[in-house]
Amino acid sequence: MATTQPPSPNSNDDKPQPVSEAVQQSNQILQGVSPDATKQSVPASVFVNSEPIREDQVSNAVKFLSHPKVKGSPVVYRRSFLERKGLTKEEIDEAFRRVPDPTPSSQPASLNPDTQAKSSSNFQTQAPIQTPQPVAAAPTGIVSVGTVARRQFHWYHAVSAVGLLAASGCGTALLIKKVIIPKLKLWVRKVVLEEENDHAKKIDAKPSLAEEAAAAAKAAAAAAADVAKASQEMLNSKNEERTRFEEFMNLMVAQVQEMKSMSNSIRKLEGQASSSGRTFSDHDDHRVTASSTKQPYANGKVDVNVQPGRSSTPPASAEPPHPKSYIEIMEMIQRGEKPSNIREVNDMPPNPNQQLSNPRIAPRTKPWETQNGPSQVLRSQTSAEGLNQNGQDNGLNYLVDDESSMPWWQRKNVRITEIENEDEAKAGGPYGVRTNEQALVQRSWVPPQPPPVAMPEAAEAIRRPKSAPKETATQEQLADDQTAARPSEVNDELQRITKMSESAGAVEMNGGFPSGNSMAIQEEGNSHEGN
Amino acid sequence: MPVFKTPFNGYSVRFSPFYESRLAVATAQNFGILGNGRVHVVDLAPTGPVINELVAFDTADGVYDVAWSESHDSVLVAAIADGSIKVYDTALPPQSNPVRSLKEHAREVHGLDYNPTRRDSFLSASWDDSVKLWTLDRPASLRTFREHAYCVYSVAWNPKHADVFASASGDCTVRIWDVREPGSTMIIPGHEHEILSCDWNKYDECLIATASVDKSIKIWDVRNYRVPVSVLNGHGYAVRKIKFSPHRRNLLVSCSYDMTVCLWDFMVEDALVGRYDHHTEFAVGVDLSVLVDGLMASTGWDELVYVWQQGMDPRAS
Repeated sequence: MATTQPPSPNSNDDKPQPVSEAVQQSNQILQGVSPDATKQSVPASVFVNSEPIREDQVSNAVKFLSHPKVKGSPVVYRRSFLERKGLTKEEIDEAFRRVPDPTPSSQPASLNPDTQAKSSSNFQTQAPIQTPQPVAAAPTGIVSVGTVARRQFHWYHAVSAVGLLAASGCGTALLIKKVIIPKLKLWVRKVVLEEENDHAKKIDAKPSLAEEAAAAAKAAAAAAADVAKASQEMLNSKNEERTRFEEFMNLMVAQVQEMKSMSNSIRKLEGQASSSGRTFSDHDDHRVTASSTKQPYANGKVDVNVQPGRSSTPPASAEPPHPKSYIEIMEMIQRGEKPSNIREVNDMPPNPNQQLSNPRIAPRTKPWETQNGPSQVLRSQTSAEGLNQNGQDNGLNYLVDDESSMPWWQRKNVRITEIENEDEAKAGGPYGVRTNEQALVQRSWVPPQPPPVAMPEAAEAIRRPKSAPKETATQEQLADDQTAARPSEVNDELQRITKMSESAGAVEMNGGFPSGNSMAIQEEGNSHEGN
Repeated sequence: MPVFKTPFNGYSVRFSPFYESRLAVATAQNFGILGNGRVHVVDLAPTGPVINELVAFDTADGVYDVAWSESHDSVLVAAIADGSIKVYDTALPPQSNPVRSLKEHAREVHGLDYNPTRRDSFLSASWDDSVKLWTLDRPASLRTFREHAYCVYSVAWNPKHADVFASASGDCTVRIWDVREPGSTMIIPGHEHEILSCDWNKYDECLIATASVDKSIKIWDVRNYRVPVSVLNGHGYAVRKIKFSPHRRNLLVSCSYDMTVCLWDFMVEDALVGRYDHHTEFAVGVDLSVLVDGLMASTGWDELVYVWQQGMDPRAS
């Protein structure tokens, strides 16, 4: 497997573990574990993972899963990614169990990037400064933003921060206006009232009044100027805030860009000679109906770097050349046209409860089921014998008629057959009964020749007469016993039966012995199938 | 060697487990992108290199795969691109067909496999990321196996253990399942690219082969699945389908988008033992006969079905 960079910025150098190391480890562990194999829940099954959980893989997976970007992706993609890295189900489950819960009070042990933590704390200190007055939205906004900041998308809280600032700025401006203006009014009224009183008291104080009025006006002007200045300052500070915030946002955006580029490079590294892009021939995103649902996967969603096999870089040797008409049809469909050769076909069953016809031929045993090794002979022989005791073979009637000429597909590469037959003869064993000639014989069933004496003791045993009914009875019994037997015992049973038939020695030595043998086998197969 | 011309683009070909001369062919119009489909049941003429059509069934949507029943000699199931599975009985008149339409998958059904040991059930692999288990006598699926993160392209029963099967998916993993267990029992992250096909070795039930978009075929032993037993390189493009020989322990056949059908012996250093380049478009379906050793068939987007004996030229007449 290609070595990969883990997505977390806290680069975990031990994650890209060389495969050989893992194999050696697991091999050693396996050897140690083998005596404990019986403790497994599925005993003696080779199709189960018997490796113990590898701690290093699990810890790597935990780091991967703790990454904020990964947390934003669907669970199925996270699992798929880990599976492709070679983790077993148990290891993946363990990693999921260990990943800390996503709450604001999560332990510092959770490996968030330091920059992100810093930025969130920065924001949290900034926000309180902005709102001198407890605007209703602000506290909850801060809290929610604070919790969000640690986990999720940066731009969310950037946007909310900008909104908050604008709101707080407007709020303070309004409030100040509301405070200043009444004060000003009050002050002006006070001045006017004083003026009137003075006026009433001193008539000749008019000029002084006028002076005072002038002075008051001047003061008012000064106050207004002050107010203007204050509001100007407010505006300036707001602008400053805004610019500061712009900078902050830019920083965030830059961070996001960096993250994206990192994930891109990670994915590039992972999918080096990588998998299907959208255009990959078979995987049939060519289906018109399909394309809508599979669109997000196909376009290689940037955020998720755990896409199963859908990276953006097609393999170096490119796609296979599609037939010209294929490309034409694809283009037609992309334009929205439908090819003209499509008909309306009703392929629904006319009678959904239609009974299936009865089978006319009994199932045949497979070539690999009846022997330990491959057999050329078996197919014609046993298939011809079939399980029809009366020897009829409905499906092959036409061939029985045509006994003289061999169907063209029976003629095979003679050389190979001969070599294989030699091997067979040498192999001998309980199934050494298969003769050489039968390999090339025609379709119809011919009683096989007596087998060459591969096992002299068997030949001896055969010559000892035994009663036929007993033999069949025991065979039946054994067949019955087989109904509960596991498939793995079939071969043993077959050998036992063969030995039985050999020792029992059917009455008709020539034709009966091998046919009895194969009958037993057929019954074996039959009863086994009946499970 | 006989050739059969289909009106639509070929997708899959399967020999019947009952009749040596019978095959089923799955085809789809317009390369399977959009359009009708057709299932052909054909017979090899005994006398000469001719293929005769026995019956054909039209479908509303493309047919991606077809599988013969192991219990009924005349029954076959077809995987349709509209997510349904149609059951046909060739012993009944064509007007009575299909006998069943099993619609449960949400997306295209891409692969089918009939249980060769137990003979009563079959699996369907779909682009809706799931695998379903069915029997012919029930209108609804028995089990749904949903763990893959992407399209499941192929599914294969273990030839020896009647409850074990494997599924190959576009999420680059192969999963081993046991129908008695709730979830997958093994996950083999076999390739770095989508895995299009998988098949078990018929003579060693622990060996499984996977074929991928990365042009390679890998043989795995489930007892030690971290490292492949063998890697077969040689195809020029994605490998679409593989099949282990029912007669020879080490032989397997593959077809690919490089338009060739290749024979491999994975126990040999130079594994490629045969190559047939008779197709003029993507070769997408290949099968080896269970009843006749050495008999093989292939089909492709060039709308042709070839049947030939191993060692002979498929285009020879």
